[in-house]
Amino acid sequence: MKKFEVSPLSLFSSLYNNRQLLLDLSWREITSRYKGSVFGMLWSMLTPILMLGIYTFIFSEVFQSRWPNINEGSRSSFALILFSGLIAFNFFSECVGRSPYIICSNPNFVKKVIFPLEILPCVTIISTLFHATIGLGILFIFELFAFGKIPATALLLPIAFAPLIFLTMGLTWLLAALGVYLRDIGQTIGIVLTGLLFISPIFFPMSSFPEKWRGLASLNPLAMPIEQIRNVLIFSKEIDTHYLMYYATTSLIIAWLGYAVFQASRKGFADVL
Amino acid sequence: MSSEIAIRVKDIGKVFHTYTKPHDRLIQGLLSLISRVAPSARVKAYFHRKAEARRRDFHALQSVSFEVNKGQTVGIIGRNGSGKSTLLQIICGTLTPTVGEAYFSGKVAALLELGSGFNPEFTGRDNVYLSGQLYGLSKKQIDERYDKIIEFADIGEFVDQPVKTYSSGMMVRLAFSVIAHVDAEILIIDEALAVGDVFFTQKCMRFLRQFMQTGTVLFVSHDTASVKSLCSHVIWLDHGHVVQSGAPKDVCDSYLSALLESQHGKTTKQSPADLPRRPPEISECYDQRQKFLNASNLRNDLRVFDFNQNSSGYGKDHASIIDVEFRNSNGQRLSWIVGGEEVTLLVRGVGYRDIPSPIVGFYVKDRLGQTLFGENTYLKYRDAPVYLSSGQAFEASFQYQMPILPAGDYSVCVALADGTQSEHTQLHWIHDAIVFRSESSSVTTGLVGIPIREIKIEIV
Repeated sequence: MKKFEVSPLSLFSSLYNNRQLLLDLSWREITSRYKGSVFGMLWSMLTPILMLGIYTFIFSEVFQSRWPNINEGSRSSFALILFSGLIAFNFFSECVGRSPYIICSNPNFVKKVIFPLEILPCVTIISTLFHATIGLGILFIFELFAFGKIPATALLLPIAFAPLIFLTMGLTWLLAALGVYLRDIGQTIGIVLTGLLFISPIFFPMSSFPEKWRGLASLNPLAMPIEQIRNVLIFSKEIDTHYLMYYATTSLIIAWLGYAVFQASRKGFADVL
Repeated sequence: MSSEIAIRVKDIGKVFHTYTKPHDRLIQGLLSLISRVAPSARVKAYFHRKAEARRRDFHALQSVSFEVNKGQTVGIIGRNGSGKSTLLQIICGTLTPTVGEAYFSGKVAALLELGSGFNPEFTGRDNVYLSGQLYGLSKKQIDERYDKIIEFADIGEFVDQPVKTYSSGMMVRLAFSVIAHVDAEILIIDEALAVGDVFFTQKCMRFLRQFMQTGTVLFVSHDTASVKSLCSHVIWLDHGHVVQSGAPKDVCDSYLSALLESQHGKTTKQSPADLPRRPPEISECYDQRQKFLNASNLRNDLRVFDFNQNSSGYGKDHASIIDVEFRNSNGQRLSWIVGGEEVTLLVRGVGYRDIPSPIVGFYVKDRLGQTLFGENTYLKYRDAPVYLSSGQAFEASFQYQMPILPAGDYSVCVALADGTQSEHTQLHWIHDAIVFRSESSSVTTGLVGIPIREIKIEIV
């Protein structure tokens, strides 16, 4: 009988052996979203631009929000600050929000063929990363347009983003496995993600959180990566070493744990689906 | 482990838990968790009982063991729900057995259910690539084989349509075509061939028979005839147990008699008592029953389909068979044949080069691709071959009594060759030149029925 290994090595070899499949499936997921629509792939650019427009209008015109300590070109800079946070958050929430359905919606791959199921969550990650990349491209263009320059620290972005990817991968594996057994997760996850959106430092910096709640807010796993990504993208600040050491390590462990849970519980998938 | 063993199944058991309500699954899990961590044995037992009460167990398989050697073709028969598909899924590795272990060596390709593993939203082309990759082919290898796969499946322009728009026949064509081209060493086939039409089934059988010479096949069916003709070993499953395992004939016979026994309790419709008891009138036919049978619904009606010029085959450069038909003794073309009657098979063609000693031959094959009978013109013209010059047309005919054929699809394969029986060049070969279907038949056993001269029971 085939045993499902949980070691990180088995993960890398599976990802390597199935790299073509992984890329094919990811590309299909990216293109299938806009299949049949008039604008097609253009939507992957239109959506973030329109969202950016809405958020900018609501927060800078209706609520008159200002980012503390930023004065120059405040309207466009507020939009960019918002946008950088949203790119990070949307990446996380899209992956995690879809994770409970990743296995459930592909019963054929579970029951009818021998499929490397462990790559399915990675397909979601890659296709979502693609959209995040387009969002980042738009952000850079905007930044160039509004300020005439992009900070050099933007080169550090991959390093700032990586821990968030690991965290998301771990949670996606975990929820994909649990979602098979407990369908309620799919319902709950939406509420949790909406809650996270409002306690994450997207519309305001961490520092403007009320003192007594700041401890709680810093428990939010998204707070650190969002701040770090925004720092390198816009504020031209370098990455916090704490973030790199502790947060990155923890996120790697979470990624592996999620993978391990997934591998350990996948034997039962075919029985339940 | 011996390298000779392709599949080994050891003491496999599979229990499915069923729950009346979905949340019972959750409660059961919690209760059994409590029972495991409970402090005293009495509390443990209490919660364990509570937990067990929430679920019902269904034993799909119980202590099933067998081994399949490399190159063997093993059939698994059994009624619906006897655990055949569960067993195959466990062997493939898509289901985990509750106890025991299954092992296989070599590359397995499985055709588990209709269009198994296909993603309905993807096009046929995408699915070919997807399943090819799942069978371990690289993109380049699939590129190389793609045309062959599509040609084998023969589903036309549907290749670029999503698979969800396919008919079940098209789905299985594509699925079979993929597994036929992935260099598998073990093939697992679950019933799926039943939905293909006669041309495709013939093609699959040709492939299977060729594959069986080197590869291992696990074949699941309710159809004992196909199991008997294909397999070298048969396993009979019933209610998750192996009832019998051994030579195809023995196992199939006991399976059939068990099946009949169980049916006779419920229905008497097909019992021999219902057949008319009046002795048949004596007639001039070979088979005394012929007249009576022809008047009853047991008459062996064979529906003949038109000559299919485009059926697969080879040759055609030096000569071509242009028409094949059945005629009655008055020379009329037949679209229906009654089994047991006199027919003439007429083969017409034309030679594009000089053919010094042409041989025309035919085979009649059943739906499993087994040759039932056939004949050629060689012996008759051995001493004085008919010389066919370039551009000349020819007509060969075979007059014979059509045997009575069991219900099913049949095909006639015709060929034109040049040379002798032992040494010849095939000039044109058509696999399924004519297809005919036996709609009803008085034959109950055997591959063909022959006119029986006399049947009687006497009290002495």
